[in-house]
Amino acid sequence: MAEEETYMFWIWAMASTIFRLFLIFFFPENINLSSRPELSTPLTSLRRLAEGYWLKQASLSPYAESMFHGSPLLLSILGPLTIQRIEGKSSHHLCSLVFVIADILSALLLRATGQKLQKAFRLNLKRLGLLTSLHDRGILPCGDIAALVYLWNPFTILSCVGSSTSPIENLAVIVSLYGAVTRRVPLAAFGLIMAIHLSLYSATLAIPLIFLLGYGLDAPPIKKFLQTRHAGVETTGSTSDVSKQDKLTQTTQLFSWRTVLHFVFWVLVWSSCVLVLCSLSLKQYGGLEEMFKRTNGFILRIEDLSPNIGVFWYFFAEVFDFSRNYLLIVFNLYILLTGIPPLAFRLKHRPCFLAFAYLAFSSILKSYPSVGDAALYLSLRALFVNELTDMEHSCFIFCGYIGFSLLSPVMHNIWIWRGTGNANFYFGNAMGYACFQFMFVEKSVNAMLNHDQALKKATAEMFKNSAITAIF
Amino acid sequence: MAAVNRDNEEEVKTDDGSPKIKPRPIVRLGIFLIAHSPVFSVVFSAAGVLALLLLPLLAKNTYISENALMPGSARSMLSNRDVSDGSKLVKDIKNFRLNHEGQGVEVQKLIGKYMSDMGAEVSYQKFHPEGNQFHPLHFFSGPDSYTLLENVSCASYGVNVAGIIRAPRGDGKESIVLVTPYDFINGGDYEDLSLGIVSSLFSLLSRVTWLSKDIIWLVADSRYGDYRPVAAWLTEYHSPSFKVSDLLKCDEQNTADNFRRAGTMAAALVLKVDGRSEKFEDTLSIYAEASNGQMPNLDLINVVNYLAVHRQGFYVKVEKVVSLLSSSWLKIFGEIFEAVGKLAHMLNPDWNFGIPAADYLEGSATLASSLYSQALGIPTGPHGAFRDYQVDAITLKVSPRFPPDSKTRQHDFFLRGARLLEGTIRSVNNLLEKFHQSFFLYMLTSPSKFISVGVYMIAFALLVAPLPMVAASLYIDGCKSLTNSTDNPTENFKSWKWLDAAKQVFTLHLFGFIVTLLPYFICQVPGQHSPTNRSIMWGTTSSSLLLITFVTMPGCSPFSSRLHGTNWAILKSVTISAAFIGLCLMSIINFATAEIGALLLVPTCLMAQPIKPALRSRRLKSLLGAFCSIVLLTIGFPVMFFAISKGLLGEGLVGLSLGGEFWTWLESLWAWKSATYLYIGMVHLPCWLLCLCILFHPS
Repeated sequence: MAEEETYMFWIWAMASTIFRLFLIFFFPENINLSSRPELSTPLTSLRRLAEGYWLKQASLSPYAESMFHGSPLLLSILGPLTIQRIEGKSSHHLCSLVFVIADILSALLLRATGQKLQKAFRLNLKRLGLLTSLHDRGILPCGDIAALVYLWNPFTILSCVGSSTSPIENLAVIVSLYGAVTRRVPLAAFGLIMAIHLSLYSATLAIPLIFLLGYGLDAPPIKKFLQTRHAGVETTGSTSDVSKQDKLTQTTQLFSWRTVLHFVFWVLVWSSCVLVLCSLSLKQYGGLEEMFKRTNGFILRIEDLSPNIGVFWYFFAEVFDFSRNYLLIVFNLYILLTGIPPLAFRLKHRPCFLAFAYLAFSSILKSYPSVGDAALYLSLRALFVNELTDMEHSCFIFCGYIGFSLLSPVMHNIWIWRGTGNANFYFGNAMGYACFQFMFVEKSVNAMLNHDQALKKATAEMFKNSAITAIF
Repeated sequence: MAAVNRDNEEEVKTDDGSPKIKPRPIVRLGIFLIAHSPVFSVVFSAAGVLALLLLPLLAKNTYISENALMPGSARSMLSNRDVSDGSKLVKDIKNFRLNHEGQGVEVQKLIGKYMSDMGAEVSYQKFHPEGNQFHPLHFFSGPDSYTLLENVSCASYGVNVAGIIRAPRGDGKESIVLVTPYDFINGGDYEDLSLGIVSSLFSLLSRVTWLSKDIIWLVADSRYGDYRPVAAWLTEYHSPSFKVSDLLKCDEQNTADNFRRAGTMAAALVLKVDGRSEKFEDTLSIYAEASNGQMPNLDLINVVNYLAVHRQGFYVKVEKVVSLLSSSWLKIFGEIFEAVGKLAHMLNPDWNFGIPAADYLEGSATLASSLYSQALGIPTGPHGAFRDYQVDAITLKVSPRFPPDSKTRQHDFFLRGARLLEGTIRSVNNLLEKFHQSFFLYMLTSPSKFISVGVYMIAFALLVAPLPMVAASLYIDGCKSLTNSTDNPTENFKSWKWLDAAKQVFTLHLFGFIVTLLPYFICQVPGQHSPTNRSIMWGTTSSSLLLITFVTMPGCSPFSSRLHGTNWAILKSVTISAAFIGLCLMSIINFATAEIGALLLVPTCLMAQPIKPALRSRRLKSLLGAFCSIVLLTIGFPVMFFAISKGLLGEGLVGLSLGGEFWTWLESLWAWKSATYLYIGMVHLPCWLLCLCILFHPS
């Protein structure tokens, strides 16, 4: 049974790779995917990267003329590939191959992460005594599911084929998660630093990573359970329960400061490495200051107001100049204050899920979001299929995602090519899409909290029953 | 609407166990609607159809929205001298033709010489008539650059002549285009008249001082149809190809360097003269529909209509479906509406919505034609090529009341035609920006009456409103029956039960997508095949593909055992959701297609239910329901609907030739890049198949 499942997994993974290669080489040229605002943002567009590389070849700063805003390291790696041609084909094909490899790597890492999480899920159920044999069979291989969701998600496929660098950003994020889940601290730190370097918003991941390294993998909030259990233990006082409780207290280890310090140390090491490399590559062109201004400053100041699927471009195209700075501060603080601390308090016992929530939240409120971000958080969501079986409105949200992602090119067409619509049409679509994303995150978090509640109720009930049997 | 409904549906479910909180009024309304969805779906659908029938009543009179246009406020400056210039050109061309049989290029040179004599810059452009190409997804990309064919033969190419008058007050950044399609080899007498009108006008415009936009006169070589030469010229104008075309070597005449441009186009008028008017007056027909149901700005039509009716005394008309004028059922509707209108007027003199039954008939016939040509997505004339570049354009087809060789009437005719064009150009010349003030989304019920998007959308919204309601109520039913039937504790997927149904829906949509793309490969099959053969190839490949799908994925097949099959209520719910999404998308791309599609698809989707229990129960009501769904499904099959609509239009068709006809029709759709083709293949066909699956569901 299990073997057959792995077999199927590999077949589907291979099929997705072949599908990607087919699309890369045989997609009709006149549907220019790389210029679609849904796929490539000013930060992730490969066309802009090629432009930056040309500027650099011409001994100009790659950041000149506000064309390129990505990382200088990525420029040094992908840049040479953008001018190499496979004979008869246009130049983006080599880069696309790199993206395909990045996607496959991400999927494999997701699978490994999922297997770890699945093991942890089973272990937790066993500890709480809720795992019956029937239940055991019901546990889904969430690693395989997540990897396949990542590989076959149309968003991932489109951003892989459509020449945007988001597959590499996603890979960095997944590497960091994988490193933290398998407790490979240097790897986790490397992934985090690369993710932050490629897109600033991944900095929020630092919190779940620290939790993950400090507290361990996702688990139900055991402390709460202990309280209910204490009540049970006091009335019965049976020895077997005491030993069980001891075992539980042992598992709820305290926050392991050593690992976290280790992590911080590696973060410092990797960040200094990245900074040194960047400053080397940008030595003649203004150095690190220029880089921070043109990449992170560009993200925070929302300078490019070309349409995208986010909600900020329209707003900042409309505001008066004198209130622009104030609103920039308000919006950036809004992301920082409303999203991050509450979720961190509520979900600190489930760091991987917290990472999902952060990524989803930031992909809604990003200044330049693309569907590649959605692809990442959707597949992270698939890691929790076992916990989130009871998500509400799932069908409705699914239909909404499909509807709005199909509507987006239509609205763009009506606005740009036909001239019968205007910017409001496209922005309305972006708003609807953001609403559905919000609903998705909210329902997921709710379902997770409900799941914890249900576990708590189940253990409490079981204890009551065992207490009653012990009395009589 | 959908969101609210679906929300509520879940609300009911979650409220079952937990202490009941009184829901908000809107939520209660949603629950009420869902609980009584059969009644409401009948009411809403009927209201949707009624609203469609009411549309001619709700049409408003057109008005000129942009004040800057000021049509007819200036006195016409066209003099007899200009008209005699035009007449001279016509005479010269006729003489030339008599002397030199079949020498097309020479006629072009003659026209070019006339243009340059009037002080215009003349340029010639060679083009190659493109074949029918299959690019179904073209809709999502912009107008692509003119693809050069590698080995073009010199035997078949056309030459466009374009003359540009530079505006004395302009800066060369804006222009107005006049197009006269003209067949240089065997153009008839009527085509000569259109040249005469425009050359009279051109002669005037080369002298006037008020011009602030350059005037381009394009004489399009209409040997290969009206549309192709204009499209080729526009492509060269907007996105020149820098490769040297093989066509240039065909002739000693060098046309490469002298292609002239004159800035962005504010508007374009295509003038054609054909046939003799049946009316007592000269008739002017306006054609406005461009590809995919796009219309030019209403102000352009208004200006032409105003000038033609109030200044030049033309009889203006737009196309209508003639067969509807004599239809008795529509007449009955018209009489009912008239009676209701009269009654309302008696009750309250302020209520003036009634119109005479004859007007209603005229309006409906025009509206039907407007809907039909928008839904086809095929432009009704060369003006369609302009709309791809966001230029507002219309075709004016003038039918004179005299025979073409009558010299005496010709002068008067030229004078009036040229004055009409002069007035229009003068109005457009006043504009400082693009046309934007008036409507782009509208339908005409007569040249001076229109229905705006806000009104006609109501009919569509009412028609599709039952879909989310029924989907929600079916979803709840399906979930309930599933929880009852499976007492398996491992079945803990409370809210993901729809995934199986979604898989089936997705598979069939994928199938639809592949079927949509199949003609591309069938066209690649070497050898000459008749449309009938090609349609047979298409049919067999698609049905074998469908069989393969059913065999390899047992869950998708309607004939599978009960074990594999999904719950039909949930399947129907997901199908309806898919149809709803598809129809809403299409209504934004091309409203008319979505409206006609909804008329077919909505009843089919709503009525679809398993036939087996109906036969088993032998109750009259369920048997009737099953019969209705079978009839609707038969009509809903695209080929069948095509045959029925053709039959209604008066062309009898039987047997295999039907397949050929259908293929030719579809070929015309994709050759014109119509989104309707995509709709049929990717929304209508999969939903129809899914309804078939539900019909034969083994429950």
